[in-house]
Amino acid sequence: MAIPFELDRRKLLRNCLALGAGALTAAPFTVYRKPRSNRRHPVSRVAILSAESYSGKLEQLLMDGLSLFKLEVKRKKVLLKPNLVEFLPGKEVTTHPALVGAAAECFLRLGAKRVTVAEGSGHQRDTEELLVDTGLQDQLRQRRVEFVDLNRDDLTKIRLKSNYTGLGHLWLPNAVLDSDFVVSMPKVKTHHWAGVTLSLKNMFGIVPGMKYGWPKNLLHWRGINESIVDICATVPVDFVIADGIVAMEGNGPLHGSSRQLGALILADDPVAADATASRIMTLSPERLPHLREAARFLGNICRSDIQQLGVSIESVRQPFRVLSGFSSLVDSVCIHREC
Amino acid sequence: MNRLHQLAAHCEQDILKKQLPSGGWGFGENRQWATEPTCFALLALRLQPSSVYEPGVRLLLSCQNANGSWPVFADDDTEGSWVTGLAILTLMRLTTGWNAVDRGIGWLLKTQGRESHWMMRWRYRLLDRNVKFNPDKYGWPWMPGSSSWVVPTAYALIALRKYFACCIPKPVAERVRRGAEMLFDRACPGGGWNAGNGVAFGVPLTPHPDVTALALIALHPQNHHPLVRASLDWLLSQVAEVSSLYSLSWIGMALAAFGLPAWHVWEKLFRLHSEARTGQDCQALALTHLALYTGKGTNPF
Repeated sequence: MAIPFELDRRKLLRNCLALGAGALTAAPFTVYRKPRSNRRHPVSRVAILSAESYSGKLEQLLMDGLSLFKLEVKRKKVLLKPNLVEFLPGKEVTTHPALVGAAAECFLRLGAKRVTVAEGSGHQRDTEELLVDTGLQDQLRQRRVEFVDLNRDDLTKIRLKSNYTGLGHLWLPNAVLDSDFVVSMPKVKTHHWAGVTLSLKNMFGIVPGMKYGWPKNLLHWRGINESIVDICATVPVDFVIADGIVAMEGNGPLHGSSRQLGALILADDPVAADATASRIMTLSPERLPHLREAARFLGNICRSDIQQLGVSIESVRQPFRVLSGFSSLVDSVCIHREC
Repeated sequence: MNRLHQLAAHCEQDILKKQLPSGGWGFGENRQWATEPTCFALLALRLQPSSVYEPGVRLLLSCQNANGSWPVFADDDTEGSWVTGLAILTLMRLTTGWNAVDRGIGWLLKTQGRESHWMMRWRYRLLDRNVKFNPDKYGWPWMPGSSSWVVPTAYALIALRKYFACCIPKPVAERVRRGAEMLFDRACPGGGWNAGNGVAFGVPLTPHPDVTALALIALHPQNHHPLVRASLDWLLSQVAEVSSLYSLSWIGMALAAFGLPAWHVWEKLFRLHSEARTGQDCQALALTHLALYTGKGTNPF
């Protein structure tokens, strides 16, 4: 049966605009922007730790997990970067304060010269209120750990080590630039613009709001995926501790539903960490544009290049709901069998 | 009243202790001056003899960009930023040399959110419907090349209204009207303002006290608008909820600007200051001072 083909001027204009917008969106990643360095390890290590709750045993569990990596942090200035995008009562939006506190304690026990917790909230300008509401202030005071508001730190102009955004440089906080060992501590969540927000997307928070706004709107205009890669190319993530004990699915990063995943993900490679977290969420990492591009020079995405420690992906894997625009990310094959 | 003046004097002293050799102020213990804390510190020192705040004013005048805008911080790039409105308001309060102010106003009138471009308006009408807003209603961006957001728009509106006062030319009035419409358009459904969107992906967003207070001060001339009244009610409900000096001070300024009693805000400010375990941030001190001395029904700027 022939399908009648009708195209009026309005539809033509709409289709042309859609085509143009699609081309504009795809263009930055189709144009090869040669990064200045390749940080991929021959083999990356990712540990999945089972953890049902944010209980008092968290610190020991984390210490045991960190011991799998033989980290060299003695006399180093360690910076922990949790996700504190916004506080919404009853919503699992932010990295749990107990996990941040436990991580600070562990790195101090491992001999770090100093541990700083730092974040530049994407939405909330009142950082003091955010720290109180999330419960992080109590955790940090108990341990006498300093917090730096990256939205308002002293800044230095830094040339980007890749240039997908075309920005050429970013002003970045001195607290980040002065640290020796950066730990990205994301909350495992789906994200309505980027597909997922994990250790790479979490680094958006180092970009200072006082310069780029709340949210960091210029980066949205330059492309979220492109910005993620440029930021992570310029500021290396040395280690990942991802909070997947209670995660978020659906309309993340703020208004999704809680998902009890019961897992912590530790990794010495942010790309491998995010690829593993995506697989746990039954999403295909290769279909996430920022992750696919980061895998070219920032870390490993293939399972064959990742040494899996702790429990298996399959033992914690759960199908996460995503918004309709991201249904292509769902790895339907993996929902039904091991892969 | 004694306690009020004591706290205000304490704030002034601490602000002066935190002044940097450049004459400006930074956030927290920063060594780099930034325009926002510098402006608030200067506004808090406005009742002092001019010799006290003169170095800060000189810094503000000297750092103005060639295009009339202000940088966000020392060494910032020169294209302009959201603090321009605030810098204008500060200089209008503290100087009589208006050449810098005139140039700043000129920059504000040339600057608008990126969504106002005709291509972007089409994009938001046809393709990008995830965030609910009307791109015909635009204001001012955080920096050139980005969209309109509530904070930069509110500062720009207050500055333009104060500068032109009763004699506002028609094109400027049109710009002010659009800016105010943008604030109404981006409000949260039940009143109050988030960073700049009321609804995203079908979900109403949660207002923030500081942004709501600033937007309300900017919309004071429309004080009978139902959304303004609803936002004021929401802000009043937050007095008991907030625990930071920063947000509480903003609430106090907005309530006073609308002629509402702010004694319960002051009581909480006294308590928070007495409980503070560490030295307070310069901006929080300055905002506290402004909250204490904003007269009933007057603009704190």
